[in-house]
Amino acid sequence: MDFNAFIDGFAVVTQPTNLMYCLIGVLIGMLIGVLPGLGPAATMAILLPIAYGAASDGNQVAAIIMLAGIYYGAQYGGTITSVLLRIPGEASSVVTVFDGFALAKQGKAGTALGIAAIGSFVGATVSIIGLTLLGPIVASYALDFGPPEYAALALLGVLLVATVGNGNTVKALVAAAIGLLLATVGSDSFSSADRFTFNTLELQSGIDFVVVAMGLFGVGEILYNLEERHGKPHVPAAIANIWPSRKDLKQSSPAIARGSVIGFFLGVLPGGGAVMASLAAYAAEKKVAKDPSRFGRGAIEGVAGPESANNAAATSSFIPLLTIGIPANASMAMLYAALLVVGVAPGPQLIDERPDLFWGVVNSMYIGNLILLALSIPLVGIFVKILRVRPAILAPITALITILGVYTINNSVFDIFVMIAFGIVGYLMKKTGFEPGPMVLAFVLGSLVESSFRRSMLLFEGDPTGFVTRPISGVIIVFIVMVIALPVIQLVLRRRSSSNTPSDPSNPSEHHDQEAGVR
Amino acid sequence: MRKHLSLGAVATFAVVALTACGGVQNTAGGGSDSGEYPSGAVEMPVGASAGGSSDLISRQVSQGLSAELGGSFPVINREGANGALAAAEVAQAEPDGSMISVQNASLFAITPLAVGEDEVTSIDDFDVVQGVSRDDYVLVASKGSGFTSIDDFAGADKKITYGTTGVGTGAQLACALTFNVNETPAEAIPFDGGAPALTALLGDQVDTACLQVGEAIENIEAGKITPITVFGPERVEFLPDVPTAQESGLDVEVAQYRFMTVPKGTPQDVQDAIAEAMQATFETEEYQAFNEQNNLTPMEISGDEVVAQLEEDTQRYADLVEEYGIDLGDAS
Repeated sequence: MDFNAFIDGFAVVTQPTNLMYCLIGVLIGMLIGVLPGLGPAATMAILLPIAYGAASDGNQVAAIIMLAGIYYGAQYGGTITSVLLRIPGEASSVVTVFDGFALAKQGKAGTALGIAAIGSFVGATVSIIGLTLLGPIVASYALDFGPPEYAALALLGVLLVATVGNGNTVKALVAAAIGLLLATVGSDSFSSADRFTFNTLELQSGIDFVVVAMGLFGVGEILYNLEERHGKPHVPAAIANIWPSRKDLKQSSPAIARGSVIGFFLGVLPGGGAVMASLAAYAAEKKVAKDPSRFGRGAIEGVAGPESANNAAATSSFIPLLTIGIPANASMAMLYAALLVVGVAPGPQLIDERPDLFWGVVNSMYIGNLILLALSIPLVGIFVKILRVRPAILAPITALITILGVYTINNSVFDIFVMIAFGIVGYLMKKTGFEPGPMVLAFVLGSLVESSFRRSMLLFEGDPTGFVTRPISGVIIVFIVMVIALPVIQLVLRRRSSSNTPSDPSNPSEHHDQEAGVR
Repeated sequence: MRKHLSLGAVATFAVVALTACGGVQNTAGGGSDSGEYPSGAVEMPVGASAGGSSDLISRQVSQGLSAELGGSFPVINREGANGALAAAEVAQAEPDGSMISVQNASLFAITPLAVGEDEVTSIDDFDVVQGVSRDDYVLVASKGSGFTSIDDFAGADKKITYGTTGVGTGAQLACALTFNVNETPAEAIPFDGGAPALTALLGDQVDTACLQVGEAIENIEAGKITPITVFGPERVEFLPDVPTAQESGLDVEVAQYRFMTVPKGTPQDVQDAIAEAMQATFETEEYQAFNEQNNLTPMEISGDEVVAQLEEDTQRYADLVEEYGIDLGDAS
């Protein structure tokens, strides 16, 4: 590791501008973490123009630091409403509701929030250290990532997003397929043949990913929230004594440690991220507990584990983005867009060419998490009050910023309409139970899959065995086979076990489909 | 560090507001009816994203025009379709000097070789005011390939792969011509721009690549990639030891150059005012340092000379492509 660059990174972060943007980022992150519905990806989408503005003032690094702060800041904020209101502010804090709210009912809301804040801080810090050590190592192999590796990795990403994500697999697959289809619009970069451009110049360079993301996440979320949150009263629980007792701390330390490790590894996986990590950590805590029945009735580990895990994962998901330029989840896809918007090419060269940006952003997380730890407890009261701001006031403001913002990025009125169209699509998707996340990610990764695959085939002179004979792509292909094979094997096993039960000889695959289709 | 520490939100609102205004002003500003040019803001669309050499050059020229003529010349990034989007916008603008644009030769001379006829941008829609500068292409080889000169290509035991910066670019044409004229079996691997092509070359994923000098020079100087040949009419000042293709015995000359364009029919006095202001800008030390820093060779010829050169190049490229049976639009 280049130790000097690491130290220089701190010099970058401690510049007043960057510190300020870091503070703004984590504060906004925490704020939107508290607001149910508005997620970090949507917020980044809405604030992309701010990043663009900052970057044209020469503050590229600051812009990215701010957006990164929004993502990990949101992990702190999401806890607050989970515990106090039984409403998860973020998808990644859903499991915190179970034990967090139970603790609040027992008058231990402060303890739950305190432990969550400490767990979040530890999880994030462990993960940043991991990122600091591992990032450069991954990046040093990044040049070995040729077209075949990118093709395989991006394909794995699309598959994982569609199958492992939270929610309905079939719907996620449909969304991902549409995303892949959208990625084909525009002039083909190998033959310059027009695809789905309807003879317009505007569509010739494809649909702008930034515009799609701002529409699906930004406008779509605004519309959806307007409807969802109409006139819901919020009565938060009272908070006493934030500092956890020694007993609580002792009880939750192993959970925090486990959560941090689980979160770190799940965050790195394409398609992983904070949501999956928190679910896995909760399951793990329940499994190792001596008395699993305590869970759901106010087990402090049920708060500590998932909260550590979601922060660790939020941090470690920066690794694939910053080292090889592949976004692991929807929020990272937004950050990918942000890098493009501020004029930085995400890819293996990033760490060499822009050490100030790489280390500036990584090191800002150390400081950002310190700020969050210091702020999360005293500001709880204020954030809870913000919940009372009527969506009818918030929505028009955010909508206006988004529309002005998308125009400024390409100076194109066409983009405004594209964004609004995708906003409506995003709203309808959410209403019908489709997640826009897999669609956006498949859209980004789709063009990568296609172009890398075709590039590989040119390099292999048409012989696809090259994919398995190259060590890195070979390993990734094995993973892909596993991801596809696993559900099939499960299905076969289930079929076998159900055919053993005489009471239910009926079609088990139909049963599986139903299960997938309902939820 | 920076001049102001204003809140991000405030700064952005200003940016948002200013840019939004700039966008709707295009019919009002600039016109020359009253004789004095410019009478309002003059938009300068550029068909590339912020930070690339086309963008940087536009911004440098914009600064110079602003200093010489007064008024503001905001650069507006209208990325897409190799610059055809920005070109279409300029071609359709009022011919009164309220919209001007620095454009690339490749859009007119090379892109037509790769795209369908209805997508071709014609130079006839514009008046060319003034030449700006040349950006040379260089053929570079990866360390792993072991190539140090064009002669080494003959000894290759398999098809040589070459990365290009995209379909219909000068980089693609330069490389395709080199390997065809030299009769070396080779395969084009198109990438989305210079940076990914360079990355692939550094990682030994491709044997060679054609890049713009500015994109490659840092890694050439660091010894990570080997320059083979440049494609300009003479050697590049920044790479004095690298022979031109002509010197290496190949009749291949491909260059990217940029020039100031206005919509067809813009009054001559406006064109003259712009050309004079640009020439004055070229004299400044700041501008010359900018060229140096970005590895750009001045090509400060008159508009008519640019058109003549462009026509000659277009014909020459078309003939070469025909002669060697190269299809830029078919890399598969």
